[in-house]
Amino acid sequence: MIQFSAVTQRYPGREALRDVSCEIGTGERVAVTGHSGAGKTTLLKLAAGIERASAGSVVVHGQNLAALGETALAVLRRRIGFVFQDHKLLFDRNAHENVALPLQVSGFTRAEMQRRVRASLDKVGLLGREKAMPVALSGGEQQRLCIARAIVNRPAILIADEPTGNLDAESARAIVELFSSFNQVGVTVLISSHDEASLERLGGRRITLAQGALVA
Amino acid sequence: MLHAQAAGAALGRVVAQPLATISAVLVIAIAIALPVLAAVVLKSVSTVAAGLDTDPHVNVYLALDASDEDAKKLAPLLRAHPDAASVRFVARAEALQELKSTTHLAELLASLERNPLPHAYTVRLRTTDAARLDALKADWQKLPKVDQVVADFEWSERLGRWVRFGDRALAAVGIFLALAVVFIVGHLIRLQVLTRREEIQVSQLVGATAADVRRPFLYHGILQGLLAGLAAVGLAALVSAWLQYELRALTSTYAAEFKVVFLDFGSALTIALGAALLGWVGAWVSVGRELRRFAARP
Repeated sequence: MIQFSAVTQRYPGREALRDVSCEIGTGERVAVTGHSGAGKTTLLKLAAGIERASAGSVVVHGQNLAALGETALAVLRRRIGFVFQDHKLLFDRNAHENVALPLQVSGFTRAEMQRRVRASLDKVGLLGREKAMPVALSGGEQQRLCIARAIVNRPAILIADEPTGNLDAESARAIVELFSSFNQVGVTVLISSHDEASLERLGGRRITLAQGALVA
Repeated sequence: MLHAQAAGAALGRVVAQPLATISAVLVIAIAIALPVLAAVVLKSVSTVAAGLDTDPHVNVYLALDASDEDAKKLAPLLRAHPDAASVRFVARAEALQELKSTTHLAELLASLERNPLPHAYTVRLRTTDAARLDALKADWQKLPKVDQVVADFEWSERLGRWVRFGDRALAAVGIFLALAVVFIVGHLIRLQVLTRREEIQVSQLVGATAADVRRPFLYHGILQGLLAGLAAVGLAALVSAWLQYELRALTSTYAAEFKVVFLDFGSALTIALGAALLGWVGAWVSVGRELRRFAARP
């Protein structure tokens, strides 16, 4: 489902990933671990088509991302749910509007949007909070809202960057259980974290990065 | 994002910010109304100029004491000139009748004891050359019983030239002001893009294509342009009506009528649609530039 072949990613003045090759199969549950600056976020962004690799190839859903144009890459991103480390919620829009954004982009009808947003909010336990503005939500609720937005397009791949960072233990446990439940219905889950307790609870396979290289 | 949704979103934004919309539309409308008004003035002047006699001719006015016999003697002398194409006699009685019918001076003329107008000849010429015209006038001025030789077609021809020049100047000014509209709309859309930068970036992260991002802004530009075009036509119509009112008061004292010729429906529609097109162009340029900047600064 996701295949990295000799992937290198360079930014001005530094190399975030170096010659990384690995594969994540359909329905797998994979945790990406490593210290800060190890290249976890870069790996996830490459898998989601948010960035393009400097060298090597990334194949997702059978498509080599390097060969895709900007429009095709954007369309591919609609099939991948991404939970951002900094949430990337729109603070001038309520919970419903935030979750509806990917559906708006995909051109769904208002009725279908309404139905899917409610279903997503229900899955993350935020049904009834549609009108709440993000600022009125707790850290855990914001994270769940971000997950609701990531799953609203019913993606086959769900990627989360440090979804339990800055959360208390109880909230972190609830978030990990949420990802596990998605994986149990066949969604491929790829999560980066350096929180050992969460990683243990998540289970599945681990990919470990150190200074941009794959070490395990 | 579908076209209908994008258009709906743009309309919603226009309605949700009435003050910002009105001020933006007014700024653009004034920029459009200026050349529209100039076009109205030119059209009115050119309509008047079209009714004027611009064929080269001179009027030869005889002295008031010239008899019918004196006038008859003059005709072969005028026809004999090589630059004279045709000669038409206008008897003083005929001239008086024409004056009565074409002006509001009938009562005043009727009150006069005698006809104040002289016999006259209108001579169509084969030349507009100034030197030959001067020589001709000097020759005919010396003929017996001739009082004045007047070449009064020159000013109307000059007016026609000015109108043609005005048309060209207006086209040039129109192009500059169209560019100004593009820049104004572009700037306003750019501000919106910057205000909504976060939303745009998140939309792109969740799968919005460049076209998806651009579409609502393009509709916004089209809407702003269309509204501004309609407002410009409205403004021009108001000013034209006021000008017509003032002109009527002014020209009535000259016993003449000058009408402000406003745009026909087709022209007004063209202006509104043209403004919408300019709004679209401005939005396209602006959004494209900002999206490239976003891409360059992740």
